[in-house]
Amino acid sequence: MNRRSNRPHLKKIQSICLGCLLLSMLSIAFLSVSGWMAPSLLAAPAELLAPAAESEAGSVQYAKEAGTKTLIFDKAGLLTREEAEELNALANRLGAKRETDIIIVTTDNPDQEDVMVLTQNFYDEMAPGYDRPHGNAVILTVDMYHREIYLAGFYKAEQYLDDSRLDLIRDQIIPYLSDGDYRTAFEIYIKKAHQYMGIRPGVDPENLLFQTWFQLTISCIIGGVVVGMMAYHSGGRVTVNHRTYEDKSTSGVVKQYDRYLRTTVTKRKIPKNDSRPGGWGGGGGGGVTRGGHSHSGSRGSF
Amino acid sequence: MPVIQYKCAGCGSGMTFDSTTGKLSCPSCGRQDDIEQIPDPLKKEVFEEGEVHEYQCNSCGAVIVTEPETSATSCSFCGSAVVLSDRLSGELAPALVIPFAISKEEAIRAFRKWCRNGLLTPSGFMNADRIKNITGIYVPFWLYDLDNDVEVRGYATKVRTYRRGDYIYTETHHFEIYRRIRLNYVRLPVDASEKMNDKLMDRLEPYPYDQLKPFKTPYLAGFIAEKYSYTDEELFPRAKEKIRPFIDSYISSTVSAFHTVRFTEKQIDTIAKQVKYALLPVWMVYYDFDKTEYTFAMNGQTGKVVGRPPISKGKVALWFSGVSAASFLVLKIVSWVMGGGFL
Repeated sequence: MNRRSNRPHLKKIQSICLGCLLLSMLSIAFLSVSGWMAPSLLAAPAELLAPAAESEAGSVQYAKEAGTKTLIFDKAGLLTREEAEELNALANRLGAKRETDIIIVTTDNPDQEDVMVLTQNFYDEMAPGYDRPHGNAVILTVDMYHREIYLAGFYKAEQYLDDSRLDLIRDQIIPYLSDGDYRTAFEIYIKKAHQYMGIRPGVDPENLLFQTWFQLTISCIIGGVVVGMMAYHSGGRVTVNHRTYEDKSTSGVVKQYDRYLRTTVTKRKIPKNDSRPGGWGGGGGGGVTRGGHSHSGSRGSF
Repeated sequence: MPVIQYKCAGCGSGMTFDSTTGKLSCPSCGRQDDIEQIPDPLKKEVFEEGEVHEYQCNSCGAVIVTEPETSATSCSFCGSAVVLSDRLSGELAPALVIPFAISKEEAIRAFRKWCRNGLLTPSGFMNADRIKNITGIYVPFWLYDLDNDVEVRGYATKVRTYRRGDYIYTETHHFEIYRRIRLNYVRLPVDASEKMNDKLMDRLEPYPYDQLKPFKTPYLAGFIAEKYSYTDEELFPRAKEKIRPFIDSYISSTVSAFHTVRFTEKQIDTIAKQVKYALLPVWMVYYDFDKTEYTFAMNGQTGKVVGRPPISKGKVALWFSGVSAASFLVLKIVSWVMGGGFL
C-alpha cells in the first residue's frame, strides 16, 4: 500500500531531475556556442547603433562611445573602415571578459625597424592596458615592410599567453595573412586570444576535451550507448557463459604446439615534430621593453 | 484409464503440487503427501502412443479437451488437476523434472516487480495490472551431455615494438599453432516444444540443476505440461549450434598469448554421450497492453523474467537526454578542473 502511494511522487521527482539536467545542458551548450561562434552576430546591432565617427587624417579612431577603446591601429590600411569597426567592437567585447586589451597594430614600417622593437615601442609610448596604463595587453604587430608579424603578451597576457600559446595563434593566422585575408586573420587572433586566456596557464589550450562540440558529441554518444544497452537488455540478459555447462573435470587441452616459423622486423623513423606550417621557423620568444615591461612573444613572417 | 488424478485420502478433493512445500497438497483439508512415498501409477501401465483420442475426467466425467502436446492440464468443467498418463509413458516418459519453486501468487508478484524495474517501459505497463493469463507450464527439454573433440590449426603472431636511436622497430614473430581440445558439456538444455520461442527459452537459463529430481507424475498435478514435439536427434543440430560460441571462446582462451591469430582449420566432432528428457518449470505470463499481447516467461525456480516489454519513446528520450546532459556536465567539470574554463 505504502509503496504504491509513494510511487507517483518518486516518478515525478525523477522526471524533474532529468528535466533540470536537460535544461542545464541546453543552456550550457547555448552559452558556450554563443560565446564562441556568434560574437560577430551579437556585435552587429552595437555597430548599427554606433555613431559613425569620422576618422581624422593620419590617426585611426573608431567608435568613440563610452567604454569603447580604440584597439585597432591600422596604419597600413589593411582593413576597410567597416571591418576595422567590427573588429574593434569584437576586441573590446572579448577583451573586457579577460580584462585585457586585445590590440592590433599594422604598419608600413617606413623606418624599417625590427617588428619586435616596433611592438615594444608601441607599448612604451601608447601605454595600453585594460586595468591601467602599461597594463594587461596582447599586441599583434603586422610589419608590411618585412612581411613579419609579432605577437606579445603583457602582464596577465604574458602569463596566460606564453610563447607557446602565441606560437599556436601565429600558426593559425599566418595562412590568412599570406593570402591577404587580414580581416579573418585578425578575427581569429582576437577570438583565440580570448579563448586561450580563459584556460589556465600551462595547459594545452587546444586540448580536445576543452572543445564544446567535442564534449557534446561524447555526451551524446554516451547517452546513446547507455539507452541502447538499456533497450537491448530490457528483454532479459543471457546469463550463461561458456563455463556454465562445461564439465571441468574432463575438459582441457589434450595436445598443443606453437612452432616458431620466422621473425619479420620493420622499422620506422620517429617523426620530428618541430617543423611548423607556414612562415619560417619563427619563435623568438619574449623580452623586456626599454620601459622595463617584460612580455611573452612569438614572431614569424608571412 | 489414461487419466491420472490425485484424490485426497482424507476428504476426497483433488490434490495439486504445492511449490512452497514441494509436496502434494489438498486445498480443502490441507493434507500434505510426500511425493517420494506415492507409488507412481505410470510405472504399472503401458500404453501405445497415439492410442487414446479422448480423455474423461475421473471426477465429473466430462470430456477433457486438450491440445495434442498437452500431458497435464486441468478439467475445464470441474477444475480438477488431470495428468494424461499415456503422453508421459513409454518413449514419452520424462527422466527428470525440476518442480516449480515459485507459486502463482509469487510469480505474479515477481512479475509486477520486474515490470516496475523496466526503465524504458511505459508507465501504464509498469502497473502490471493487465495480466491476461498466467500459466505454469512444464516445458519439455532435452538435456544433452555432449563430448567434443576439437582440433584447430592456424597461424599466430607475437608483436614487439621497441625504440633504438631514431627508429621504432616492429618485430613480428610468426608461429604455426595447433590445439587439440577435449571439451565436454553436461546437461545442456534445448527446448523441445514447438510452441515455445527458442530465444525466450534460452534466456531463461540457467536452471538450478541441484533441484533436478527423478520424474514423478504428482509434480505435474495442478500445472500444465507438454510433451516434446521434436526428438533429441532432431534437435541435435540446435544443441551443437548452442555450444559453438562456448567452444570458440574456449579455443580463443588457449591462444590468448598471441597478438593475432588466424585459424586455417577448425574441426569439431560432437557426440551426444547421453540425452535425457526433462520437464523444466516455466511460468508463462500473457499481458495485454495497447491492444497488443505480450508474452513473458519466468523461470519457475529462479524467478528470472524474460520477454520484450514495449518501449516508451518518451522514456527513451528522457533517459537519452538525461544521461547525455549528465555526461556533458561531467565533461565540462573535468575540463574546468583541468583548467579549460567552464564555458
